[in-house]
Amino acid sequence: MLPAPFELHRPKTIDDAFALMAEHRDEATFYAGGTEMLVAMKARVVAYPHVIDIKGLDELRDVTREADGRIRIGGLSTHHELATNPTILEHLPAYAEMSNQVANIRVRVAGTVAGNLCFAEPHADVPTLLCALGAELVLRSPRGERVVSAGDFIVGEFTTIREDDELLTAIRVPSTRGGTTAAYRNFGHLERPAVGVAVRKEDTGSGIVWHIWVGAVCGHPVRLESVENAVRGMQGEQALETLKRHIDAATQELEIYDSIHGSADYKRHLVGVLASRAMEACQK
Amino acid sequence: MKVQMQDQQANPRPDLIEKVTGAAVFASDVSVPGMLHGRILRSPLPHARIRSIDTSAALAMPGVVAVLTGADLANINSHWGLYLIDRPVIAIDKVRYVGDPVAAVAAVDEHTAEEALDAIMVDYESLPYVTDAEEALKPDAPLVHEDMQTQNDYYFRGGTKIREGTNAFQDYRYDYGDVDAAFESAAHIFEDRFTFPGIFHYAMEPHVAVADFRGDELEIWSGGQTPTAIQKVCADLFEMPLSRIRVHSPYVGGGFGGKASVKIDPLVAALSWKAQRPVRVCQSINESMLTARRLGAVVYLKTAVDAEGKFTAKSVRVVMNGGAYADTGPAVAIKSAIRAIGPYHFPNLRLEAVAAYTNTVPGAAFRSIGGPQGVWATESQMDIIADKLGMDPVEFRLANMVDKGQTIKADLRPLDVDLKHSLREAVAALDAQPDKDASRRGVAVGATDPGIMPIGGAVVRLKADGSVLIMANTVEIGQGNRGVLRQIVAKVLNMSLEHIHVGRPDTEFAPYDWGTGASRSTVISGLAVKQACEDILAQVQKVASQEIGGEPSDYEFRDGIVAGPQESVKLRELLRRFHGVDSGEFIGIGRITKHTRDGDFAKAPLFWETVGGACEIDVDTDTGEIQVLRVASAVDAGYVINRSAAEGQDEGATVQGIGHSLFEEYVYEDGQLTNGTMFDYRVPKISDAATTALSVLIESKDGPGPFGSRGMGEGAILPVAPSIANALFRMHGVRIRDLPLTPERVWRAIRDAKQEQGDTDASAESSSSEVNYVTSAI
Repeated sequence: MLPAPFELHRPKTIDDAFALMAEHRDEATFYAGGTEMLVAMKARVVAYPHVIDIKGLDELRDVTREADGRIRIGGLSTHHELATNPTILEHLPAYAEMSNQVANIRVRVAGTVAGNLCFAEPHADVPTLLCALGAELVLRSPRGERVVSAGDFIVGEFTTIREDDELLTAIRVPSTRGGTTAAYRNFGHLERPAVGVAVRKEDTGSGIVWHIWVGAVCGHPVRLESVENAVRGMQGEQALETLKRHIDAATQELEIYDSIHGSADYKRHLVGVLASRAMEACQK
Repeated sequence: MKVQMQDQQANPRPDLIEKVTGAAVFASDVSVPGMLHGRILRSPLPHARIRSIDTSAALAMPGVVAVLTGADLANINSHWGLYLIDRPVIAIDKVRYVGDPVAAVAAVDEHTAEEALDAIMVDYESLPYVTDAEEALKPDAPLVHEDMQTQNDYYFRGGTKIREGTNAFQDYRYDYGDVDAAFESAAHIFEDRFTFPGIFHYAMEPHVAVADFRGDELEIWSGGQTPTAIQKVCADLFEMPLSRIRVHSPYVGGGFGGKASVKIDPLVAALSWKAQRPVRVCQSINESMLTARRLGAVVYLKTAVDAEGKFTAKSVRVVMNGGAYADTGPAVAIKSAIRAIGPYHFPNLRLEAVAAYTNTVPGAAFRSIGGPQGVWATESQMDIIADKLGMDPVEFRLANMVDKGQTIKADLRPLDVDLKHSLREAVAALDAQPDKDASRRGVAVGATDPGIMPIGGAVVRLKADGSVLIMANTVEIGQGNRGVLRQIVAKVLNMSLEHIHVGRPDTEFAPYDWGTGASRSTVISGLAVKQACEDILAQVQKVASQEIGGEPSDYEFRDGIVAGPQESVKLRELLRRFHGVDSGEFIGIGRITKHTRDGDFAKAPLFWETVGGACEIDVDTDTGEIQVLRVASAVDAGYVINRSAAEGQDEGATVQGIGHSLFEEYVYEDGQLTNGTMFDYRVPKISDAATTALSVLIESKDGPGPFGSRGMGEGAILPVAPSIANALFRMHGVRIRDLPLTPERVWRAIRDAKQEQGDTDASAESSSSEVNYVTSAI
């Protein structure tokens, strides 16, 4: 199918982009890689008479290290750029690995990290890992800037807390260099993941803290807090055995339904499999 | 100036350089002056009566030229079909599946046409629907077609046996020997039910056609595999002479049967007829998913074995989901039952094949029609039986397999290949791998009778300068047939490839050919081209003997030189002596009929397309994911004309088979196709292809085609699914009878087997005589 007719705008600055959005409001959308938005427009699930192409806003593309050691990822960075970026490879190797496996190469060279987050397709990889990594998202609008945690950003299928006129300009992620490790494991037999689990093992100096998030299987990434608490302070086989003992009870609490990606009980089982594998990967 | 010829001497295929440089003109690239763009409005309902269609708002839109609906069909023959005249050019009184074309818009561009679709108002009255074939055959099922009008000898020989007042549009039965008596006296009887879902062809190029209706003539540039059938159907619909309909076949971006016979061309032609302008319709891939699919099947097998492990009887019952329109489904159903026999000898044999209309995407031919469905069942059951009898799966097959020259089905040509050898070769190919692991291995074989109508022809023109133009109507759908025809000419006329050009298929110039499918092009078109070359050689020899002297047989033609005992001259010089100017050409004609090869072409099948297959798999028992590690197919191709193209055919068939083995299926819910996009319908990716794919080509040089070749390219898809399922059984003792072998299905089967094992172990303590069948080793 073909999208409904629209006018394409190509602002050169963020302020120009905001001005266009202010002018067209409900009739406009921001668009970057197009790997989600254009598909939806072609399927005529959504229609916007005005499409604001923000690919020209180069200031949203850089990957830098901030003074506090965090990695700042420009929202327009593509999956492929992040998979091959030296800073990401050094400081967030798990993120680079995940980025390198998003969809297929045609999606990876076009799709952006901010687009992935803002579209909030539940069967996605990026949000789950960013949640486990403790990422913060920087949202900017004409009213100013606000920072939200990745775990608070997506609230349901295709739904985020972003206002329509806000741009997700950057993602700030604590480096996993040093004692911290992270891993993401997903599985599915269709194009998109049926289940994804991200695990971060954080050495706080005063003990091991695990961050365990499940994605794709629910409307938004979900933190497995009970499992995190059960394995707090543990490492090695002890952590793994404890995770396996607690994961089933935790997955029972998740809102998982039968779908084309699999039956609910199978997907719950996969959460346990992938959580174990991700934890093992963190300990290698 | 010397024009640099693109064709490389080393590469017989003229299409490859064109394709990798983007120069190739595919059907979807065709543009003609004044061309409009058409889009199709499709039914959102599985079954509904059309109360009214209001096209006025669409017609009022700027740029919209015409809207075609069923109301326009009053003045032409509105319905067409191949066995049943069941398909309206566009929906008339009702719609029969989600995706059924309801209206078509021709506009100045695709966007305008697409927008106009939204402006067409259709008032539907929903009707009860049925999407499952076995449900559709129940007495109270809603009728997809209230009336069925059949025709005989239209596309394939013969007709179909319908059941009036039901959804059954084919009801085939075959009985040989006394099956019931054999079952009564059998030592062992095995009864199993297998299912095979509908599968999308997924040609990379969707269905596309440009039609230009000009007064009393019609010109079509079609992405179809069967230009002469398109010509015939359009001639019947519009009551036009065949000679006034011209069908061009540019490069086609994959067919696999989904573009065989006739698909969207009549609708595009009718839209051009309505618009009085050339119209192009290029579907989206999602629309092509709604246009044709492999017929899903339920296959019931009952097999009797004597105490020595020899077969005594088999009964096959196939129920096929034919979708909303029969297309070639009646043939697919018969073939499925025949292909479920396997290459084995059954003294008593019963076949039943019922094909049912349902409110789903129309079924269609697909690479080895009915073959994967039948072979999935039979080759899975072969391992079930071998396991029960405690026999090795390979040895059990070899013990029951017919030899070359022995009969599989009494009314068919005896098996013409040594299939035992093929099976051994496939196994040997895996055994030769350094990382082989026989404990992960499954095998399967297939024997199919291609439905080849021996009707074809070719014209070969030897030009004065020694260059050659081939005119044949076999369509290049990626299989490399244009290259094969060049190689045949090179071999027969003793000349290098650079001088040989293959014209684009065009019904106005190329002789009639039945169609491109069923592995027939190398045999039929190839043999016609070979005959045409032999015709030319005879003419050249005759003219040489007339102009130079001696007997025709004194002369040979090589590298453009006519060489004889008295004198050797260039072709141009021979023509100068003959005509007085050094111009003119020799025209060779080849014709294929049932009389070809002294009447041998009258026998069916023309050749058996067979395969021995083996694979080794890895199973992730935690997720249930199967990875095909190594796979081998061994095919007796008779004589291999282009090795890389032939290997590519079998490798492609294998990967396509991995798709229907592990992922692919049409999923229906509430009458809707729920996975009708490439996001949700998974085809194999390169990471799914086996890391080692071995194509063994056996050359027995006794096929009916040129130089002893036989058709190939469909066989290797057959063993993939059952060999994977058999490997899974060998590794984990679980037998899955339903495709695809999705991770969830495999995980669940292994989990259930472990639970059963646990239960059995527990009860074994009290009853030690219990046999644990599920995990018994093979």
